[in-house]
Amino acid sequence: MTPRILPSNVFLGVAPIVLVIAVWQGLVSFGFAPAVLLPPPGFVFGRLLQQLVTWTFQQEIVATLIRLFAGFAIAVVLGVSIGIAAAASPAINAVVRPIVRVLAPLPKVALYPALLLLLGFGHGSKITLVAADALFPILLSTYYGASTVEQKLIWSAMAAGTPRYQILFKVVLPAAMPSILTGCRIGLVISCIVVFLAEMITSTDGLGHALVTAARTFQAVDMFVPLITISLLGLILNALLGAVRSYLLRGFPEA
Amino acid sequence: MKVVPSRSSEWVRPVTSQKPASAIIEIDRVSQVFQTSARKDHLALSDISLTIDEGAFVSILGPSGCGKSTLLYIVGGFVSPTSGAAKIKGQAITGPGPDRGPVFQEFALFPWKTVLGNVMYGPRQQGVRTPEAEAQSRALIEMVGLKGYENFYPKELSGGMKQRVALARTLAYHPEVLLMDEPFGALDAHTRTRLQNDLLNIWERDRKTVLFVTHSVDEAVFLSDKVVMMSKSPGRIRQVIDIDLPRPRRRNELLLDPRYQKYVVDIERMFDEVDETGSPS
Amino acid sequence: MTLLATSARRAAPVFACIGLLAIWQVASLALKNDSFPTAIEAIRAIPDILGDKESLINILASLRRMAIGFGVAVLVSIPLGLLMGRSRAVAAFFNPLLMVIYPVPKAALMPIIMLWLGVGDIAKTLVIFLGVSLPVIYHSFEGARAVEEKMLWSGAAMGLSPLQRLVRIVLPAALPEVLTGCRTGLVLALITMITSEMIARQSGAGNILFNALDMGQYDTVFAMIIIVGAMGICLDAIFERVRARLVRWSEPQFDMPLSFS
Repeated sequence: MTPRILPSNVFLGVAPIVLVIAVWQGLVSFGFAPAVLLPPPGFVFGRLLQQLVTWTFQQEIVATLIRLFAGFAIAVVLGVSIGIAAAASPAINAVVRPIVRVLAPLPKVALYPALLLLLGFGHGSKITLVAADALFPILLSTYYGASTVEQKLIWSAMAAGTPRYQILFKVVLPAAMPSILTGCRIGLVISCIVVFLAEMITSTDGLGHALVTAARTFQAVDMFVPLITISLLGLILNALLGAVRSYLLRGFPEA
Repeated sequence: MKVVPSRSSEWVRPVTSQKPASAIIEIDRVSQVFQTSARKDHLALSDISLTIDEGAFVSILGPSGCGKSTLLYIVGGFVSPTSGAAKIKGQAITGPGPDRGPVFQEFALFPWKTVLGNVMYGPRQQGVRTPEAEAQSRALIEMVGLKGYENFYPKELSGGMKQRVALARTLAYHPEVLLMDEPFGALDAHTRTRLQNDLLNIWERDRKTVLFVTHSVDEAVFLSDKVVMMSKSPGRIRQVIDIDLPRPRRRNELLLDPRYQKYVVDIERMFDEVDETGSPS
Repeated sequence: MTLLATSARRAAPVFACIGLLAIWQVASLALKNDSFPTAIEAIRAIPDILGDKESLINILASLRRMAIGFGVAVLVSIPLGLLMGRSRAVAAFFNPLLMVIYPVPKAALMPIIMLWLGVGDIAKTLVIFLGVSLPVIYHSFEGARAVEEKMLWSGAAMGLSPLQRLVRIVLPAALPEVLTGCRTGLVLALITMITSEMIARQSGAGNILFNALDMGQYDTVFAMIIIVGAMGICLDAIFERVRARLVRWSEPQFDMPLSFS
């Protein structure tokens, strides 16, 4: 359901955005919403462009991106390795499975105050929160992909002389790639969202912080700008991940 | 029950016919019990003993569920028998290995590798250096009739082509025994007959030992030197039939050959008898 | 599976909890940081919180908002999703809108919604409503789409009207998928609730958390974390029970407790 930016479907991808902007403009123009509360799209995008060239705003974007990437990267590394380990070893599975069942429904954001206490108000607490939230979908889809690898693929590799310990890297990991990348996509969306929210709750910089600052001074336009920025960032990153996915999975039949 | 390759005066390769028959695979009183989800035990194979001679093309024929694939997997080392043992050249079979190469019905090609990548997998695994492995693989790909498709991905190939790749991939690491598990079962009739012909042509070149599982009587008779008939579950060996037909075998000739027809009719009758006297599946 | 194995499997999450708490205990003792109380200290603070009238009111208010937001979202989203699944026109109308809203963090809309609707219950409940709606709509949509055409044809042949078919065939057939969406929605409701309360501090569990943080009552902070965590686990467990009973007839579904903020 995420907007897919495929060459042939660019129109389809852009159309809803155009539609929403049109509705937005309509709401303002026809007086359904006062400009003070809902500034017209033109204003907002104008302000966005204005901000994009300022150093301060760019710094906010950089801060957010650093936390986003760091948290996401940690989630990927941990999620994929634990997921594969749990699929390969019943012992690890027995330990990991109940822990995941307990931690998964827990709103990780509730841990945020604890993280703030332990890691301070800067990058560390936010990166950890992002990693904690993005970890589970990646871990679960990796586990699912790794544990449903076709048995005959493994047998074929073993007959060709692959020793047991190499099977994980040469067969299980590549075969589980579609699942892993699906989990990564979800994890990426979550990372974008969580980093923004964490910055909104408490932060000294970042896009979320920018929104909250604007809220305190009742600057509606300046509130929309960071929100749209993070959404755009999310779309761009998603598209990039989609491209990576297309390349990595070029041999696989379409799901 | 010994399985001895039959002698035919019309063998094309006199060199092989001079070689004394030697057992390569020994299956000794193998039984296999599976635990089903209903906590009941299912006896898949019961007390199978069989010796396979080197260079023989042996079919294992039986109805669905008679355990023939299981027997193949035991020889392949993918499954451990509940009791009894299988040996290759006197060595106990404890796991899979490049001496016993499988070809599966589902092809089991690595989807993330091209045709060339798939075929090169075995040689690379055995330490053959890339340029040499590539050259060998290209030759094999040409032999199975897929020249020009080296850079295609499995998803872009038809069923018959995928199975050719699977065959090439297995042959690439020079197994002594080919284990084929209903390899043409997923293909349409026309492709099946073509691949049967091609398989025989390829086999004629070095006459590896082949264990070929099938439920098709005419396929078994057409391809093999021996047909091992299995009963319904629990699988037992009912009968071993020597197929005394000349090689090389051509389908259009054989279909009109009364000896071939008699084999098929006789075995099909035995099949029906097996169905009646065997336990209900 | 033997009796011992089955009971071990059931008890495993409990062991996991105890294990995690134990790790916490050891870590806090090792770190000797004032702002990192031990697990036992935190647990001791729990009855104080639950006993305190104001805190209790806050927590119950949170739960109430969550329940209302979740309830209304489910009531609206399931029919919408089902309709979208079976009617191309409806899908074409709503799909673009939803696709754009999807990546936006609903809780991040808090300040904007506060700007429009002021602080208070309505704003927070609305955010929860938005957060829950999306996964429920999506899963209802997918579930309805996957209903076998032939089942509906049989229904039509039996004389059922389109609305009857929707309610009596599509809904039950899509129910497993719908409930998966509801489960995701429940997880999201909790997260959105906490997050929106942390952003727009007025009342609620998130508020208690940050008040305690500001006032240096670290025991309370961690105790609240345990309470919120327990809420999440309990709600999820209860929901799973209900779901299992409602769709006893369906094939086992792979449960991916995904978390969409």
